[in-house]
Amino acid sequence: MTRYLRSIGAVLVALVLPVVMGACGSSSSGPTVTVVQGTAPDYLDPSQGYTTQAANSSWVSYLGLYTYAHASATAGGQVIPAIATAPPKVTGGGKTYTITIRKGLKYSNGEAVKASDFLFTIERAIKLNWGGAAYFTGNIAGATDYSKGKSNTITGISANDATGQIVIHLTAPYGAFENVLAFPSAGLLPSTTPMTPQDTSPPSGFGPYEIKNVVPNQGYDVSLNPSYASQAIPGVPAGHVNIHVKIETNTTTEAEDVLNNSADVFDWGDTVPPSLLPQVQSQAASRYASEPTALVLYFFMNIKEKPFDNILARKAVIMALDRNALSRLDSGNITPGCYFLPPTLVGHPSTPCPYGDPSKSPNIAAAKKLVAEAGLTGYPVTVWGEERQPRKEYIDNYAATLNEIGFKATTKIIASTQYFPTIGTLKSHPQTGFADWQQDFPNPFDFYLLVDGSGISQVNNENFGEINDPFINSEIKALTPVLSSQLSSVASRWEKLDEYVAKKAYLGVFGYEKVPKFTSTRINFSQAIFHPVYGLDYTSLTLTK
Amino acid sequence: MGRFVVRRVASTIGVLIAISIFTFLIFQAIPNGDPALRLAGRTATQTQIEAIRHTWGFDKPIYIQYLRTMEKIFDGSVVSYNQGFNVEEEIRRDLPVTASLALGAGFIWLALGIVFGALSAWRAGRWLDRGLTVLSMIGVSMPVFFLGAVLAYYVGDKWGVLPPGDYVKLTEDPWGWLEHLVMPWFALSVLFIGVYSRVLRSTILDNINDDYVRTARAKGLSERQVMIRHVLRNSLIPIISLWGLDFASVIGGGAILTESVFNLHGVGQYAAQSVQALDIPSVLVITMFGAFTVVLLSAIVDVVYAALDPRIRL
Repeated sequence: MTRYLRSIGAVLVALVLPVVMGACGSSSSGPTVTVVQGTAPDYLDPSQGYTTQAANSSWVSYLGLYTYAHASATAGGQVIPAIATAPPKVTGGGKTYTITIRKGLKYSNGEAVKASDFLFTIERAIKLNWGGAAYFTGNIAGATDYSKGKSNTITGISANDATGQIVIHLTAPYGAFENVLAFPSAGLLPSTTPMTPQDTSPPSGFGPYEIKNVVPNQGYDVSLNPSYASQAIPGVPAGHVNIHVKIETNTTTEAEDVLNNSADVFDWGDTVPPSLLPQVQSQAASRYASEPTALVLYFFMNIKEKPFDNILARKAVIMALDRNALSRLDSGNITPGCYFLPPTLVGHPSTPCPYGDPSKSPNIAAAKKLVAEAGLTGYPVTVWGEERQPRKEYIDNYAATLNEIGFKATTKIIASTQYFPTIGTLKSHPQTGFADWQQDFPNPFDFYLLVDGSGISQVNNENFGEINDPFINSEIKALTPVLSSQLSSVASRWEKLDEYVAKKAYLGVFGYEKVPKFTSTRINFSQAIFHPVYGLDYTSLTLTK
Repeated sequence: MGRFVVRRVASTIGVLIAISIFTFLIFQAIPNGDPALRLAGRTATQTQIEAIRHTWGFDKPIYIQYLRTMEKIFDGSVVSYNQGFNVEEEIRRDLPVTASLALGAGFIWLALGIVFGALSAWRAGRWLDRGLTVLSMIGVSMPVFFLGAVLAYYVGDKWGVLPPGDYVKLTEDPWGWLEHLVMPWFALSVLFIGVYSRVLRSTILDNINDDYVRTARAKGLSERQVMIRHVLRNSLIPIISLWGLDFASVIGGGAILTESVFNLHGVGQYAAQSVQALDIPSVLVITMFGAFTVVLLSAIVDVVYAALDPRIRL
């Protein structure tokens, strides 16, 4: 007996050893608030990060030549100079941008900010395959050659460190280029930063915060940058509290933690579980709000495939969508709508929807009549959808609606990580299914990429309906060069275009997502800014006591 | 003993190779599973997709991709496709959490499983046995995600008796470590206690009428000595075997639900996140690690087996 007890003892000691092993934790000074995120950021290196969770931290840690105003609603969509001294001087028919950087700025590691760092930053984002790199390679002269390895540098960018002047040549006029320059991945990095991913130890940058103490998939700190306050950029506040981001994969626990004040901020990219929502709304009414976003939800209909090559079939679908029911599936977090451009954007039409009020009950009888009139009753339709909640439920509801109006619909649900690559492969020929679009930047052009006929591609296609309408294409071409700062001058033209898309019933838009702004009692809720592009603004967080 | 070790090492290598090939192929068989498309994001151009394919070696034949991945696993440089983190570093970091969970829960379910099983067999057919049978069935039928969520809500959030989740390092705060793990230990153990007590009860009842027990009684040993020294010792053999495998599966990432409900960030939770993201390198390493742990622990169990039963030779 003693013999085997000794063996068991030895085994237990061997197993206990890893428990005793441990690394050091993080430390920070000043007040710290805890943000809980259900999904870890894809990357914390700004040259790679592309998800909302990544951008939430990096837009205040890596300022670029331009950034967004720290304000809520439409005011927050305004591009303001950050490291640049002023708005760009646009010449050469909209193809040349001349920008001068501020003097005397220093990164968090003490290195001086130089004009040539901009060229380095863009090259690094391309080299590290940043998810939005197409915005650089598609617009900056020489960037495609650089990405293909045909050139050692981006020939379309020149920088003079002595004068601080940067000149960028575009391949064609692109009005949203200021927005592109405001991406966190265009946030300047010292040219001494390694040309390799730095995800566990993000590079130094210039901004109110710096990202530190990264523990993969568990958490990281977004700490106040002590050197920023003395060189603060007008319009970009220095911040008041340190942030500790904790990854909590269970959204129920995440919401309970904020409800019970054991965490301070609920990630706006997550949904408060429907089972907890009534409790949150009753017990935390003063610190919970549902904020509108520029995220449009719709069912695409492939106009190259039967039955949706027939406008009557598409009209029938739009008339039959039960938007209120779809909203209920997302805990009421959808504002019903019919237009492709969300209400928070310039160009959202103010005219009534062409096929009935989206906030009212659907007109099933009329829809059924249209399907019969088109001779499509009983026509088989495969509805594509992704697995995650509530998107799978949207598809169940949509398929039921299609069956109700006379089609013979079946669903095809695939894993969320595979969904968009699958329906984006042209040879999949999806008839109809779920799609969404979250703005990269507040400009209607960012949405109209999805219905641009020239954007249809064999893989990674985003124009799922294969819409190739000459009017839409020509309008996009004409409106693309208009500078973001002059968008209001073409607002009515965008409105007309959006009305046209709705009338042609190209997209089964069912609404715009609202997201939670939910904090603990420690946070001054009314002063916390919900930014239209990057969500809860960390620089606006203050404590109540 | 020497032959036993050689046999075990050879079979472990064989199992690991088979599992790694199988896991790798499963991911290749997923329709439209091209990882380059996923990594590139929704707005990527064909050039970018090709660049990613080239950088990660997805443009190479499948056996080359497999060999390269295995090479990286063995030299410790394998990184996650989705986040770029070193997978082995992540497992090393998460292992103390999982080991803490497995050790505490393993001890609880083994101890209570033996106590309940022995009591149940000792009082077979009586009220105590019936009560313990009902309790065991409740334990077996209770899903861990439900029990965990109920515990976290009531004991953690509502009554504030114990922290509702998270992990505190033993080296930093031993009391905090214990406080944070009590609920996960209990939630994870309940199912196993039910199973172990039922298995032990039936094994004891099988053994109790065997010849060697009659002989022990004929020798004049007390009932207590007969039960503990002879019946229980022999009945523990299948329990030890089961314990070894269950413990290994928890260490190897099997406590996915418990770790996720209590947000412990152990190997199991990492496995869940990786599968959800279809992150081949992470899933491959975790699967191989799990298989290795099971094989290693079952070898240790065999040694303990031999100690318990002298008829067994290694």
